[in-house]
Order: sequence, then structure tokens, then C-alpha cells
Amino acid sequence: MPHPAHLRSFLPLKPQWFHILLSLAGEEQHGYGIMQEVLQRTTGQVRLWPATLYGSLKRLIEADLIEESHDRPAPELDDARRRYYRLTPLGREVLDAECARLQDLVRAIQTKRAMVTE
Amino acid sequence: MNFAWPIYQRLASAFPHEFKLAYGDEMLQAGEDAIAEIARRHGILGLLRLLLDLLFRLPIEYLNEIRFDLPYAVRTLLKSPGFAVVGIVSMGLGIGLSTNLYTTALALLTRPLPGVTSPNQLVTAETAVSFPYIEHYREQKDLFTGVAAVMPGIEFNVALPGQTAKPDRIYGQLVSPDYFTILGMAPERGRLLSADLDRTGNVPAVVISDRYWRGHFSADPDVIGQAVRLNGQNATIVGITPPKFDGALSPNPSEIFVPTTVPATLAPELANDVLRDPTAKDFQLLMRLAPGISIDAAESALDGITRRLDKDDPFAPSQTDKAKRLVLMGAGTRVPLPREVRPKIIGFYAFLMIIVVAIACLNLATMALARGAGRRKELAIRLGVGASRFRLVRQMITEGILLSLLGGAAGFVLAWGLTVWTAHTRQPAGSPLGPERSVDWHTVLFAFVVAVLSGIGFSIFPALHATKTDVAPALKEGAALQLSGHKRFGLRNLAMGAQVAGSLLLLLVTGYLVLGIMKSNTIQTNFNPRTMAFLFVDPVRDGYTPAQSQAFFERLPDRLRGTPAVTSFALAAQPPYLPGDDDNFQLTVDDAHAATPVQKGVFKQTVGAGFFAVLNQPILAGREFDDRDQRLDGGPATGAALPPMPLMLSQKAARALFGSGNAIGRHVRGDRRTWEIVGVVPDIKDASGMTQAVAWLPLTRHEFAQPPSGGIVIVARGHAAEDAIGGVRSVVASIDPNLTLFNVQTLSEYLELIRGEMRTALRTFGSVGLFGLVLSAVGLAGITGYAVAQRRKEIGIRMALGARRSQVLGLVLREGVWLVAIGSVVGFLGSVALAKAVSAITTAFSDAFAIGVDDPRLLIGAPLLLAALTLLACYIPARRATAIDPLKALRQD
Repeated sequence: MPHPAHLRSFLPLKPQWFHILLSLAGEEQHGYGIMQEVLQRTTGQVRLWPATLYGSLKRLIEADLIEESHDRPAPELDDARRRYYRLTPLGREVLDAECARLQDLVRAIQTKRAMVTE
Repeated sequence: MNFAWPIYQRLASAFPHEFKLAYGDEMLQAGEDAIAEIARRHGILGLLRLLLDLLFRLPIEYLNEIRFDLPYAVRTLLKSPGFAVVGIVSMGLGIGLSTNLYTTALALLTRPLPGVTSPNQLVTAETAVSFPYIEHYREQKDLFTGVAAVMPGIEFNVALPGQTAKPDRIYGQLVSPDYFTILGMAPERGRLLSADLDRTGNVPAVVISDRYWRGHFSADPDVIGQAVRLNGQNATIVGITPPKFDGALSPNPSEIFVPTTVPATLAPELANDVLRDPTAKDFQLLMRLAPGISIDAAESALDGITRRLDKDDPFAPSQTDKAKRLVLMGAGTRVPLPREVRPKIIGFYAFLMIIVVAIACLNLATMALARGAGRRKELAIRLGVGASRFRLVRQMITEGILLSLLGGAAGFVLAWGLTVWTAHTRQPAGSPLGPERSVDWHTVLFAFVVAVLSGIGFSIFPALHATKTDVAPALKEGAALQLSGHKRFGLRNLAMGAQVAGSLLLLLVTGYLVLGIMKSNTIQTNFNPRTMAFLFVDPVRDGYTPAQSQAFFERLPDRLRGTPAVTSFALAAQPPYLPGDDDNFQLTVDDAHAATPVQKGVFKQTVGAGFFAVLNQPILAGREFDDRDQRLDGGPATGAALPPMPLMLSQKAARALFGSGNAIGRHVRGDRRTWEIVGVVPDIKDASGMTQAVAWLPLTRHEFAQPPSGGIVIVARGHAAEDAIGGVRSVVASIDPNLTLFNVQTLSEYLELIRGEMRTALRTFGSVGLFGLVLSAVGLAGITGYAVAQRRKEIGIRMALGARRSQVLGLVLREGVWLVAIGSVVGFLGSVALAKAVSAITTAFSDAFAIGVDDPRLLIGAPLLLAALTLLACYIPARRATAIDPLKALRQD
């Protein structure tokens, strides 16, 4: 399935971008939260190191895939130094497109494997 | 594990300002939160990975920031094309000229010899030594890994077998066969010389330079094994040196390398048993220091050995003489320089280059300062909306570097053009080829580094100055605000004054050199210089035996005398007016009664019968050499008691040796024999304008049998130089049509040759001086123009209130006049001090300085010229100020 032109330039997504976007798919997160989430989701396989993480966040904002959220959590849970990020509509589109691309890939692999084992 | 945290903090704080502003705190917190967990889970490797991540991202973030700066800088420059053009031209001139200075002078002094392994281990001695001494040095295996003997600057006649044309006469080196081994050189093709293969008695094998191979053999690969006739003898080309290598120890390229194991029939320089005579000091040393041996250690060891060897030489200085027998210097560069002189000469060139670049930088800095004032509003807005000062400074430095790189590119093109132009200027006949001065990646790198450094240099102060802006008033009052004009010692005026001073200093210093060189370049002759010509002949290198050569020179004078086209002639070992070095021949007064005999170093010249008559030169006392002297046997003394040989002295030499006393009939010792003074001649200025103490030796049968490396010169005069040339040619052809007459030239052509080197120097220094002049004019025009533009409103008000044009003109000019006046005084004093200082530390420039420094044309002319030009540069924008329409100016903003 061909992707619209404005998405194509982002695909395939860099792994760390993909992980960040995926972390933000469900809820708004702060940087350290994203790091932890990715670590748990991949059972410790993928660690976004701090400088890479914040560098990527900066690029993602510049690319308009994520934005800073001004909805803060309850004051007792909040840390003023932390900033929260959420997907932009474009970011969501790009993430969907990347997921679709990966699904196509997995499907292709499965078909191939089925042919081999038969 | 807590070692990582401080490093993490330190690295995090090194990120670009904008990045830290947005993510700095968070990154610190994330690190703090994660560090314990990482240490627990991954141990020390994890912590290292954490730090590496920061280290790796750091340059990426900076590049990311600059990525935005650069397009912005391009846009800003495009918006003020005038500033950009003046900037590029200024930087282009500055970088181009300093790059040219680098390629023409500094590179020859500092660049390692091409194709050579570890060139900094190579050393040579300041003086020549004899071959047997070199063999003693060679035994010092703990000091040197190798010691070679070299005679550089030897001329060879080269012909291909069966070639009917006259042979090529080229410059080469006679080298001991281990020469290339010591250089650690690999052949481009074939093989190089080696001690094992090139033994005495083998067919002479020679190596040619890559340049000669390309130039004369069209890079033909079959040249290896090619037989050639070298000085009329058979030899074989066995190899080609690596590209760009054309000989150690000599600034002039050598095209052929001939081993010292060839017979003396091939290389007449090897006659008289010079390889076995411990007193024949004809060879340069080329040595490679053993690892870990310092040049000082090697020098003191060699000095001791030389002192011991000198005991057996009756003509060596006495053993009580404390002076060093041997002084070593590095030989890894194209031009070996004595160790104490080297830093001074390099320093002088570096200083010139720094001044040139500094003036260009100052020029741009003053303009950038002026522009910074014009950009106050833009900068204030950017500061107001949250840009950091650091960010703005970086932005302005980026603009500076961009401008300077564009200038650097222009400068590189200029330097390249100058090099090509220099390379294409015709070399006078017979002069050794000039060293190849090519523009290569060293030069590109040099220009690039200079450009980046000067880009930072000229923009950092203006940037810091401009960003000190107080936001609120700048926003309110806008760009037209004039503040710094009334501060007489503001940064901008200081920079401008320094620029005027620097330009004048440059103009004067280079002017001293140029005038000094020009003045010293006029020689006085007692005859019409258009009537004299030189023709060189060298029968031995044309294949004659020594006896045949002697016979030729004995017949030649009689035949020339019968030729009407030649009105007078003389033979000599070198042409007249040759500039020389006055201590190549040590003379000692032979006086048994004196406690310390008078000793004097003089310039040795060998001349034949009637030499001074040809020059129309009267003799002060005694007589000049005649045919009887020319029939003496001459040659080096063998130690046995010999009758004294006749010698003539120049007045200066006679006075140095004998004071005001009579010199005629007195005896002196020198060159291993005794001489009797037979004549004294007035001092003659040489072609470089110097008067040397000269000892004139008689040309004898010895020189006829073994002409010196340059051949024998026939100095001939006729009604016109061309007649004399024709006459000599026909006489020589009638004796032997196969004999080569080479370097045939008139006196004027010969003087051109001598001055060729000087002209290069003149051109270099002259262009540097003019550059300073042009740049400071451009800078002043630029800065005055900006000042006028900024003061439009003020000038408008003044004119509206009734100020006359002349008053406005005076107002604008006054500031410029002050700057020029103060700058001129400082520059003038500086130049005199510099000339004195440079003359005091090195003799390399002192002759030229000494002659040039008192010239009134320069002392008055240069400041006036500079003042006139700079005031003109102020006047043009100032006149524009008077054309300001008060109504329009007041309506602005």
C-alpha cells in the first residue's frame, strides 16, 4: 500500500524515533518516562540513552511529529523541570504508516516462511 | 560508580546553549535518575556507554545549530553586498599574499624534503669538509646511521649517443653512493645509487630526477638502462628519483646524481685525488643521526674528531684556536639554514605574513564594528525574543568565517595565479633552474587555516561589542543612533588607528628592502656595458683530455688576438661582478715576527691575463696578471716547498691585511701555499651592489686542464657585444667545431640573471607593501562611509540649521585625519624600530635595510602617500555626506 507523499520522507522511521512515537501513542510522557517505557516494553533490549533521547525529541519537534504538551499532571506528581510531549496529528499519521509498513513486512516474512516449511 | 556523575554533568553542560535551554535540566535529571539503575544493571560498561552517548551527540548538536547559522549568514551577506565584496577582496588580498609568501619563501625553508624518510634526522655541516674526514666521521656508528659526501651544484654536459645537437648542460650533484640510502629514499623507477653496486671501476651509473625525466625524456619508461654521454664519457641511467625530489642541501634543483666512484675523466671535480687528500675541503656532509642522538651531542663529538684530524694539516687553524671546527645544522629541508639564523629568518617571514593577515582582519573588524552599530536594532530584537548573547556572537562569527573562507578562496586563486606567473617568467640563460614553487595541498591547508582563524579573529571583538547592546534604547531609537563617534578612543577608532599604523609599517619595511635592493643593483663600469659579452667553454666536459684542453686554451688567445671583431678579451674562472661571499678564502700575512698573524677572509676569484684591462680598470699599485702568469702550472700544493704564486688584492682586502702599508711584494699564506702580492686594484662593486674584499688568483694551466665546474669564461669586448660573440664563436669553431660554447650572454643579460632573484624579492615585498596601502584606504573609505550613513540624521539636522557644506565636510574628515595622523606616527616609529631590530639579529636583510633605511624619498614619501590615499578614501564618502537632503534625512525612522 503506497503512503501519501508527505509521509514517505519519514519512512522507514529511525528505530529510536519509532520507539519514542510508540511510547507517546497511548499517553503524554516526559523524557525519562519515555526512556523507562521503552525499556520495559522491550524487556530491557532497547535503551534510549539520555543524549540520544533528547536529541531525538528535539528533531521530532522540529519535524513537527511531536509537540510539547501543556497539560500537567496533578501537582503532587508533577516535577516543574519536566516537560511533557504528545503526538501531533502528523506524528500519529507517520506512526500509523510505519506500523502498516512493518505489518506488511511481517506478513511477507510469514508467507515466505510458510512456503519454505511446506 | 559515582565517578560517572560529575563527568556526565560536565558533558551535559558542554551542549549548545539552545539545546541546554530546552533540554538541559531534563537531561541532567534523567541522567541522575538513570545512573544508579544503569550501574546496577550494566556495570561499568553501561556507565561508559552512557558517557559515550553524550560524547557522540555533542558534535552532532553543534553541527545542527551551525546548520541554521550558515544559511542565515549567507542571507545577511547577500543583504549587504558592498560589505561582502570589500570583505572578500580584503581577505582575498591578505590570504593570497600571505599564501604567496608561504609558497615562495617559507615553504622552501620549512617543508621537509620530498621522498625522504624521517627528514628531521638529517644533518649537514655549515662548512665543507674533505673526503678522508668524511670517512672518519663514517666510523662513528653510534652517532650516525650514515654519512654521505655531496658536491651540490655541479654542471654536467649530457648527450644521447648519436645525438648531433649540442649537449644539454644541466646541474647535478656528485654524491657518495650511500647518499640515497641515507636519505631513506625509494626509486620512482629503476634503482638508486648504492654502495654495493656503484663501486669504483664499474660502468658509471647515474640517477636522474623525476623532473628531468619528464622534461627531457618525456617520461619514457625505457630510459632505465639508457646509455648517455656524460661530460663526453659513457654512463648509464639506472633510476629515477621520486617526484619533486631534486637534491638535498641546495635550493636549486639538481637533475642528475652521479656517484663519486666515477673516474675523474667523467667528473673533473674528482681530479687531484680529492677523495684521498685530507686538505681538499670540497664536500658537503649529509648525515643521518642515530636514533636518540641529539644534534648538539653529534656536533661536539664531531668537533673533537675534526680537531684531532686537523693536527696533521699544517694549514688548519692552530690547536690553540678555540673556535668550533664543525657546526652542524638540520638538512631535512630544501634550504638548510644555520641553527641560530633559522628561527630569525622564519620569524621575519612569519611576522610579515601575520602583519598582512592582521591588517586585512583589522580592516574587516573595523567594518564589522561599524556594521554592528547598524545592526543594533536587529540584534536587540533577537536578544529581546530570547536569543542568547552567545548565540548571536556565534552567528556573527559564522558570518565572519564564511566571509573569510570566500576571501580565502579568492586569495588562493590569487596565490595560484602569482605562482603560475612566477613559474612562467623566463629564466635567464645559464642560471640554475629555480626551485619548483608549486601550489599543493599544504598551501590549500595553509590558506584554509589562515582563513578560519582570521574569520574568528576579525569577528569576535565586533560581535562581543555589538551584542553588548542595551535592548530597550536600541529598540526605541533604532539603527541611526550614533554613539561611538564621540568616543575618541573607541574600539573602532583604535582598530582603525592600528590599521593605519600597520599599513605604514608594512609599506616602510618593504620599501626599505625594495629601495635597498634597487639601489644596490646599479653597477658602475668604466666602459660601455653594451660592448661586453661572456662565453663559457669547458673542453674537458666535452670529452677532451686534460692535455688537449690545455692545448686548446694555449692556442685560443693567439687566435682571438687576430680577430678584428674582438677588441679585447680575457679568460677567467668566473665572470666579473659576481656577487660573492667574502670568507671563502682565508689569507694570513706571512710575518715571522708577528705574535698573532693578521688573518682575513676574502672572496676568491680566478682571472687570466689582461682581465682588468678588459674592464678598463686601472691598477692602483703593482701590475695585473699577464701571459707569464697564465703559463704557470698552478694547482693545489702538495706540501713540498713551492715558489710563491702571484696574487692580486682589492683595495679593501689589501687594507685589511696590511693596513696602510705597501702590499706589493709581501707574502701571504692561504689555500695551502704562499702567495706574493703583485698588484692592488680599486674596489669594484659587484652586481648586488656590495663591495667585497677580493683576492684575485691567476688563471693557470691547472684550470685549463681541469676547468672549474662552471667552465672557463671568455670575457670579450667588441664594438658591440654581439660582434664580440660572433668573433669568439667563429674562432672557437675554427679550432674545433664540436666544442660547445654555453651560457653565451651579453653583460646586460648577465646582470639581469643576477638580478632575477632580486626581482622576485622585489615583487614579493613590493606587492606586500602596496597591499597594506590599498587595504587601509579601503578600510578607511568603508568606515567613513558607515559613519556618514549612520550620522545622516545628525548631518541633516545640522544642514537644516544652516551648516555649510564645508563645515559638514570638515566634521566628517576631522575624525579620519586624526586617525591617519596618530596611526602614521606609530607606524613610522614601529618601522624604524623593526628595521633596526631585524638588521641587528640577522645579516640576511641588513645590507638592503642599511641602504634603504635612510632614503628621504621613502621616509617622507611613504607617509605622505599613505596619508593622501587614506584622506582621499575619507573624502569620497564625506562628500556624499554633503549631498544629504535634510528633509529626507529627517523624515527617516
